[in-house]
Amino acid sequence: MSVKPQEHVRPTLGSLRRSRTADVKGQVFFGLLLIAVVLAVAMVLAVLFSVIVDGTEILGSRLWSFLTNPSSSDASRAGVAQGIRGSLLIAGIVSLVAFPVGIGAAIYLEEYADDGVVTRTIEVAVRNLAGVPSIVYGLLGLAVFVQQLRGITGGSSVISGGLTLSLLVLPIVIITASEAIRAVPSSLSDGAYGLGATQWEVIRTLVLPSALPGILTGSVLSIARALGEAAPLLVVGAAAFYTTGFQGALEQMQGAFTALPMNVANFAKLPADQWAGHAAAASVVILVVVFLINLFAIIARARITKKLGR
Amino acid sequence: MTTLPTDASAGANASGSTWQPILPSVASRGVAAGVEVILYLVVTIIVAIVEYFVAGPFTDFGPSNWWIAFVVMAAWTGWTWAGSQNLVGSYVDHFIADREGGPACFSCIAVRQLTRFGVLFGIPFLILNSNVALSAALMVATGLIIWFSPGRRAPWDYVAGTVVTNAFAGEASVELPPLNSPKDLQLTGSRVAENRRARLLLQFAGLSSVIISGLIVRNIFTEAWQFVAAQEFSWSLLRDIGWFPRRNKFDLSTLFVGTLWITGIAMIVAGPVGLGVAIYLSEYASTRVRNVVKPAIETLASIPSVVLGFFAISFISPRVLQSVGGSFGIDFGIFSLISAGIAVGILTVPIVASISEDAMRAVPRELREASYGLGARPVTTALKVVFPAALSGISAAFIVGISRAIGETMVVFIAAGGSGGAIFEADPTKPGQTITAAMASLGAGTDSVAGSGIAFQSLYFLGALLFIITLLLNVMSDAIVRRFRQEY
Repeated sequence: MSVKPQEHVRPTLGSLRRSRTADVKGQVFFGLLLIAVVLAVAMVLAVLFSVIVDGTEILGSRLWSFLTNPSSSDASRAGVAQGIRGSLLIAGIVSLVAFPVGIGAAIYLEEYADDGVVTRTIEVAVRNLAGVPSIVYGLLGLAVFVQQLRGITGGSSVISGGLTLSLLVLPIVIITASEAIRAVPSSLSDGAYGLGATQWEVIRTLVLPSALPGILTGSVLSIARALGEAAPLLVVGAAAFYTTGFQGALEQMQGAFTALPMNVANFAKLPADQWAGHAAAASVVILVVVFLINLFAIIARARITKKLGR
Repeated sequence: MTTLPTDASAGANASGSTWQPILPSVASRGVAAGVEVILYLVVTIIVAIVEYFVAGPFTDFGPSNWWIAFVVMAAWTGWTWAGSQNLVGSYVDHFIADREGGPACFSCIAVRQLTRFGVLFGIPFLILNSNVALSAALMVATGLIIWFSPGRRAPWDYVAGTVVTNAFAGEASVELPPLNSPKDLQLTGSRVAENRRARLLLQFAGLSSVIISGLIVRNIFTEAWQFVAAQEFSWSLLRDIGWFPRRNKFDLSTLFVGTLWITGIAMIVAGPVGLGVAIYLSEYASTRVRNVVKPAIETLASIPSVVLGFFAISFISPRVLQSVGGSFGIDFGIFSLISAGIAVGILTVPIVASISEDAMRAVPRELREASYGLGARPVTTALKVVFPAALSGISAAFIVGISRAIGETMVVFIAAGGSGGAIFEADPTKPGQTITAAMASLGAGTDSVAGSGIAFQSLYFLGALLFIITLLLNVMSDAIVRRFRQEY
């Protein structure tokens, strides 16, 4: 009896694929992953569509008056103009306060700092601040800006709100700017140091220009974050509705204020049969603003990156 | 100064020993003037919008001096189309001259243009407040003077030019020290001093985060201590029928149960979905699919939480929970812990997904290739090789997600329905209160609470609790990442 030598079958791509189609466990796993992805995308679409559908009635019938009317107890006249004003001012204050300090801190951490106690303390502080819930920043703002610095900020004013949100986004600005600076190839700065440049000259002429796209994107995104936050403003004392007579610029800055997300929260807290449309319409306004900011950041990053040829 | 050269190539021999400025053609000047007209009109519109919203709807709103000034500037530039020296055109000049390596002086052009701008628009603008006709006449007159001057250059341009040349001539070129020996590379005192100043300033910026942390700890914990140390406080107040701060009933278990439900439901939603998305994106997705799915998930991260709160009461409660619960005989109201928990979960999905995905993508390619080389299937590679290697990062993602869910305020404040106070309730289908929502409702009524004894301080007591909880969670996630990080 002769043993027939086993025929050597050379695996082909086809045979490998066939073995994969028999992979039941793999198929089930892949199916579960697909369900997760579809669920996640469905959540996004559900939020956007539901809000837009609820908001179309108001946005379709009286878009202009909704954008330009102040808040009111009359549902047919209430609008978000005061919220837009507050959010614009807050965005201005955040970019004036949080950007310079945050970018400065990032430069210090990445370029100057040695590996000492001070540096490590700063790093730990930044990481922990990034995880502190936003409402705790509201408490800080209430204690420091509203109560202790009442003389400067005028109490529950847009200055207090803007400064509180500046503190809130500061760790985000620091972290994103640090990442952008770290991504600059060290050969650039090494070359400059070799030519005898000081640290500041290297930072000013090489590091900052090449890190600019990343820094810009991070900063712009942090503005979007600040514009969406309502919890700290609630604690700092943003008003649901306020009236003013004729005021000077300073009195306006120190007076009552509100912001777009506060408008949404207030409308959502009112009886739904009359006010649900207002909350949805105000949500659409915020979403449009936030998406435009994000889009701007993405496009700006793409353009600058392309220009720098990286 | 004679008439303008019309040919862009007139001075192209920049390589010669004598440098000649290259002036842009009339056509490019025309384009520049057009750009400037559009620019002014856009500025006018932006000024109008900003003025409307910043000045406030209650103040007078109408065409202000700024609008008029910018519209006049646009009209004037359009009128002197392509012939004059406008702002944009000057910078085109400057740019071309600079690129050709010629002696362009940025400050020269800036000062000359500022003078021009001031005489043309600034002075009429100041007069405009009192007399529109006079300032309009002034603008027309200055425009005419420029129009009929030789080379369209008004007399004050020459004056400004002389002043500028005398004042700024030295600045245009930088004198480099001679470089003969290595000693010449030594840093001079002024450069070292500049570096030291910059370092000091940036160090202050760096210390800001430490200062903020200090302020949080000092302010919140002193106020929280005042709550505990107050006359009317006793520890028995923390165990009662519910959370009613204005009636001195501070039952912490009400808030803890609410917070636990919200966090638990949120993680039941966000955990599997976020992890699934992460595994799919890092192990299975082609670049094309990735480019669609990842931005979609990131969109979710940029939706403000108030919008999710409204979504919970306008969609999740009425259209999902009430219709599904109805068929099982469970009665849902509009406001319930489940509804808020699901919305918080939706907010947490992108956090879990993006941090886990980063962790899994950080697993080196070689591990996957070795696994495939041994004949493992994709599912085995994903679950037995990549997942364990990325486990520290994934658990950090879950902890960060939990910490975010605990700290989420607006969704719960809007959708959980326990504003002001809540009775102890362990049933998630009923309204409830969390730590953050309790703080928000206390904070929303700050003015009325401010005088009423320890109710106001309880706000800080809760803040201190929340701060400690989230701090512990963050420290834990950091420790996990550091402890179990695999060095590849």
